[in-house]
Amino acid sequence: MSTLLQSEQIIYGDLTQQSYTIDTFLGAGTQGEVYRAHANDKAVAIKWYFPHYIQNDQQLHQRLENAIRKGSPDNNFLWPLELVTQPNNAGFGYVMPLRAANFKSIVDLMRRRAEPSFYALISACLQLSESFLQLHAKGLCYRDINFNNVFFDPDTGDILICDNDNVDVNGATGAINGTPRFMAPELVRGDAPPNTESDLFSLSILLFYMLMLHHPLEGKKEASIRCFDQSAMNRLYGTEPLFIFDPQDSSNAPVVGLHDNALVYWALYPQFLRDVFTRAFTTGIKDQHGRIRENEWRVILINLRDSLFYCRCGGQNFYDADTVKNCWACNKALIYPPRLRINNTVVMLNHDTKLYAHHTDQSQKFNFSTPQAAVNRHPQDPNRWGLQNLSNNAWTITLPDNSVKIVDPQRSVNLAAGISINFGNITAEICV
Amino acid sequence: MTDIIKRPGGAMANRPLHFFWLADCSGSMYGEKIEQLNYAIRNAIKPMQDVAADNPNAQVMVRAIKFSTGAQWHIAAATPVEEFKWDNLTANGVTDMGLALQLAAEQLDVSQMPERCLPPVLVLVSDGQPTDDFNAGLAALMSKPWGKKSVRIGIGIGSDVDLEVLQKFIGNPEVKPLQANNAEDLVKYIRWASTVVLQAASAPASQVKDQVSTGVVPIPQAPTASDIDADDVW
Ligand SMILES: Nc1ncnc2c1ncn2[C@@H]1O[C@H](COP(=O)(O)OP(=O)(O)O)[C@@H](O)[C@H]1O
Ligand SMILES: [Zn+2]
Repeated sequence: MSTLLQSEQIIYGDLTQQSYTIDTFLGAGTQGEVYRAHANDKAVAIKWYFPHYIQNDQQLHQRLENAIRKGSPDNNFLWPLELVTQPNNAGFGYVMPLRAANFKSIVDLMRRRAEPSFYALISACLQLSESFLQLHAKGLCYRDINFNNVFFDPDTGDILICDNDNVDVNGATGAINGTPRFMAPELVRGDAPPNTESDLFSLSILLFYMLMLHHPLEGKKEASIRCFDQSAMNRLYGTEPLFIFDPQDSSNAPVVGLHDNALVYWALYPQFLRDVFTRAFTTGIKDQHGRIRENEWRVILINLRDSLFYCRCGGQNFYDADTVKNCWACNKALIYPPRLRINNTVVMLNHDTKLYAHHTDQSQKFNFSTPQAAVNRHPQDPNRWGLQNLSNNAWTITLPDNSVKIVDPQRSVNLAAGISINFGNITAEICV
Repeated sequence: MTDIIKRPGGAMANRPLHFFWLADCSGSMYGEKIEQLNYAIRNAIKPMQDVAADNPNAQVMVRAIKFSTGAQWHIAAATPVEEFKWDNLTANGVTDMGLALQLAAEQLDVSQMPERCLPPVLVLVSDGQPTDDFNAGLAALMSKPWGKKSVRIGIGIGSDVDLEVLQKFIGNPEVKPLQANNAEDLVKYIRWASTVVLQAASAPASQVKDQVSTGVVPIPQAPTASDIDADDVW
């Protein structure tokens, strides 16, 4: 039910003087209502503020103007494009891109109404880290990372970040402190205002939620609380925050029957992911300097995605150099595909694995634009698997007997143990 | 192709949130008022369900008590909000509000409640003065730990309502009773109680500066009443 604007109503863009026609009501939040609208043939979303919210947030207008002037950090933000007003109405709003229907909310992920593969889920986490890196690099602070502000495509892992009207220059005083369960402990206690470092804490919480479907601080302490009220939340997330997998202190460990997701997923992921979450929620909980930065998340999440492989049942599992596990889906012993060891990381060579410049070129970290190599089958002998050179440069390979061969573009090298591939400035070894 | 399970585990763990309507069905509610209340609650069902569906932290269960001469359960079983329906109330008799609180108190006893919950939400709607021992009812409610921890909202209909009584029920000086002087306000307030307050009690939204900070949970600002018009229907 909309209360502020009616369909067919026309409002005007401050920047372009365009007239936007309101189509339908999309939803309401705490600050205002969002409508679908169009200008010419282009569909957009318009957020129109509640009068009482405008009164309470004196900086809103200026903040939006700044955001519009600065422009979106990258394509993953539903960023304000221009302010909109209406004659004889003191209120205002802003135009932003419309979110497509294939995007689902993180709430859908938590309630299991959206079921991405691990691959897509990790890709979504990776995109989130990259987009917040872009935002923070611009000197901006998001302030309100939470379930309701991030959307993702369960098929591809593409993400969209909305609610960008609280974004402000890092350090500015603003109207929003964050959302309970996502706020850094120093914010919950009221010791500090939101800043980039508290954003990083919220990002860690969101990533943990997405990967584990559970909150990293909800263990025994949560279980012992009968009524989960404000003072309980202040304790759990503010004054006594304790990681459920703290290696030094098990007093907040997950409880079987209540916190099963945490137990299931923690055991499933490789040690390097557990290590980084442990740092995020031990040293990173007390000390703002201990927070995991987006660049580290990017590296970890790419490694995590590279460690995925398929069980025969189709279930996606993670390679963990230190432990042998059974498949989580069928409980049978896992059979590893060939792997590529690149420096100290491992890329599983699945039937559908592709390598990018990120993997093959030292100077192009995080470049995933075009595949440089792909696992393929020998055209005559389907039992023979290879790695095809999709780059423009020849590779030099060294066989176990130390003989050297050249793999020209489009040619493939056998996935056989002990072969090392020199891509140019990176050398990798095939293991089986 | 059959759908393969893509990832293990279940939905995110959450807690029940018990929501109680306490509706005045005394004779003074007869006619338009009770019909407007019925309409306002029916109107709030979908938004309430939407808010609940968007909230992974809570599993919302709804019950309703009606009071006039005596108090009875209108919806006795804690009903998942997805299945919540509203049968229209009718009005006659006196205003035994205290008995309604007694009835709620019985169900908020630790023996009746699950061990782990979110704060219960009680929304009391009335147009008048209690005719029974309101204080005894309130005392019974507050003697229960879950009663004390509950989030209580009071909505008055018309100008004869005893706002002091509603304020006592709320028990938090920063949260004022809402006075609905017309049907439109009532719709707005009922909707606010069943969406915004529901959300605040389980997964508080972004913390903004205008929030009331004390109490069991922070309660966001209520919508403003439309301008009071002397010609209003009641
Ligand atoms: N660009 C958009 N496209 C489609 N729906 C949107 C868009 N932005 C917001 N919404 C929807 O509008 C509703 C309210 O928006 P939100 O920004 O969360 O409000 P608030 O910040 O006031 O809480 C939500 O249901 C949200 O999904
Ligand atoms: Zn399997």
